[in-house]
Amino acid sequence: MTRHSVVLAAQSDNPAARSRAIEAIAVAYWRPVYKYVRMKWNIDREDAADFTQDFFTRLLEREFLDSYDSHKGRLRTFLRSCCDRLFMNQTRDSKRLKRGGGSAHFSLDLEEAERELAIAPSSESPEERFEKEWIRNLFTQGLQRLRASCECGGKMIHFELFQRYDLEDADSKPSYTQMAREHGLSVTDVTNYLAFARREFRRCVLDQLREMTATDEEFRCEAQALLGVEVG
Amino acid sequence: MTQLSDSVVARLRTEMQVPDLEGTRYRIVRHLARGGMGSIWLAEDTVLKRRVALKVLDLVAPADDFGARLLQEARILAGLEHRGIVPVHDAGTLADGRAFYCMKYVEGQTLAQHIAAKNIQEKLRLLERIAEPVDFAHAHGVIHRDLKPENIMIGAFGEVLVMDWGLAKVGAPGLRSAENEISTLVLLTPNPSRVTGQGTVLGTPGYMSPEQARGVTTQLDRRADIFSLGAILAFMLTGSVRGEALAVKGNVPRPLRAICEKAMAADPNARYQSAGEMTDDIECYLNGAPVLAYSEGLLERARRIYARHRTAIVLVAAYLLMRVLFILLSRR
Amino acid sequence: MNKVLLGLVLGAILGAIDGMTAWLTPEVRAQIAGIVIGSTVKGIIAGVLIGVFARKVQSIALGIGFGLAVGLLLAFIVAQMQHGYYFQIMLPGGMVGLLVGYATQRYGRGQQSQRT
Repeated sequence: MTRHSVVLAAQSDNPAARSRAIEAIAVAYWRPVYKYVRMKWNIDREDAADFTQDFFTRLLEREFLDSYDSHKGRLRTFLRSCCDRLFMNQTRDSKRLKRGGGSAHFSLDLEEAERELAIAPSSESPEERFEKEWIRNLFTQGLQRLRASCECGGKMIHFELFQRYDLEDADSKPSYTQMAREHGLSVTDVTNYLAFARREFRRCVLDQLREMTATDEEFRCEAQALLGVEVG
Repeated sequence: MTQLSDSVVARLRTEMQVPDLEGTRYRIVRHLARGGMGSIWLAEDTVLKRRVALKVLDLVAPADDFGARLLQEARILAGLEHRGIVPVHDAGTLADGRAFYCMKYVEGQTLAQHIAAKNIQEKLRLLERIAEPVDFAHAHGVIHRDLKPENIMIGAFGEVLVMDWGLAKVGAPGLRSAENEISTLVLLTPNPSRVTGQGTVLGTPGYMSPEQARGVTTQLDRRADIFSLGAILAFMLTGSVRGEALAVKGNVPRPLRAICEKAMAADPNARYQSAGEMTDDIECYLNGAPVLAYSEGLLERARRIYARHRTAIVLVAAYLLMRVLFILLSRR
Repeated sequence: MNKVLLGLVLGAILGAIDGMTAWLTPEVRAQIAGIVIGSTVKGIIAGVLIGVFARKVQSIALGIGFGLAVGLLLAFIVAQMQHGYYFQIMLPGGMVGLLVGYATQRYGRGQQSQRT
């Protein structure tokens, strides 16, 4: 069975496949890149937005990705190093140009990204923020998959319960009884539906992760990093 | 879709790790340890009302066979019924597709913690008790391949248990590891090492045999475990891994140093050929008998014999002295 | 070797040696054969008694004590029969008993080990 990987597709010779793959990578990584450069190089939002656009445009034009080797490191570490290199080169050569007109333009929701940056802890390093953004994006994409999967399977109630309970901050979380009442279900049903949704969410996130990695080995390493949380 | 907050992401991440025990008889109590591609959890068997340890893979493995590997590990353990090998109670697949097995929960100390206040004789007796389940496993065609102090537990009542058989290999007794089964196992190790040009490196640096370090896994046999036992002994005697251990001269009695060196010989043919052979030599040392691994000089032999039979020698000497005195007195 | 047999053999050997040293006493030299036989028999009896004791009681201290007592007692009986030489007979006799007592406890194979 051929392994579907956006990373491999992004390195392919097929322009259409490459374009789609780069777009998928951009969706997964634009926030981490944007916030990373904002924090690390202390540049304003416009410059950061231009840099981010520039970065993914160059990615599309195969400036970076051709040299990526999954055996040597993770994609996100590679992309972060490319960020640093590009920024330093541009600063050295004073060539941080605003690109436009004929260049690829990726959709960036800057307002939301800025709002999130504003509430980020000040003690956090740019690298930590990059990692967190990567995970957040991964989970967001996993949620999209979960929603699609529940819609297909006629299990939207499962998704809604999951959204209501597991995606809420602790202080606004309803109880199982409350949710059971709201949806006309028994508490047992709520428990079972939530268990299903959590299980599916996990599968969706890992499937998404698998697509974002080039090899099984890279996937396993990334999964280890993702799941290597100390649980009390 | 609204972006998830940091706290929600952290919580989801934590929840993703916790095994979904729906449909099983277990209930998670807490996380115990993380290693390789899975974690070990303290759980409660809700039927038998006892604490157990669950080893659960992190991932469902559709394309490769980590689940099969974990179940293989469980089967190996289940087939080795010995007081020194942690017993397996159950194995299977969770509702989310992850493989798991359930084993006895061992509360106690690691080897390093336990030997802190022990003298040499006690440490040697302990090593014998560690070698016992290893010898048993060898007799059943199983090589552990990752023996090290961290994988030895001493229970609350002094019972010795050899843990973590995740790298174990089953074959007929005397048969060597098969190459085709090794290549994926590297990812099950807590600290996977490099992949060499020749093969795959399994084990822990300092405790793995030279042939393991070279990745020559087709030639691994029980003597690889003998090497590890020697390294463990060196650790117990000196507190450090083998590199520095035997360089500390004078601290470790020469016969024991010889036992370590023989167990850790670079050439497997020069090592003890079984764990039983090694413990026999340790027993000789403890009983004041000559150690096979060590060629003692005449003076050393005399000292050893004297130490072993001191009382008898003194009594015989006293008797002979008495006889000599009688002869002298009778001549006067 | 089991404890009784060890006691017997050691007792016989040491008893014989004991007897032979009587040759150093000119007054009794003529009776050396009888002395050696008697001493050997004494040694055997002491050795067997000490060996039996060692089978019943596993204690080096008690084994030595019992051996000493048996050795002294038998030596005393012999000295009585000789009407003298108490010191020359009892001291070696006691020492032999002590030696055999220790040896049977330390080196003799007990009943438990014989069963396995």
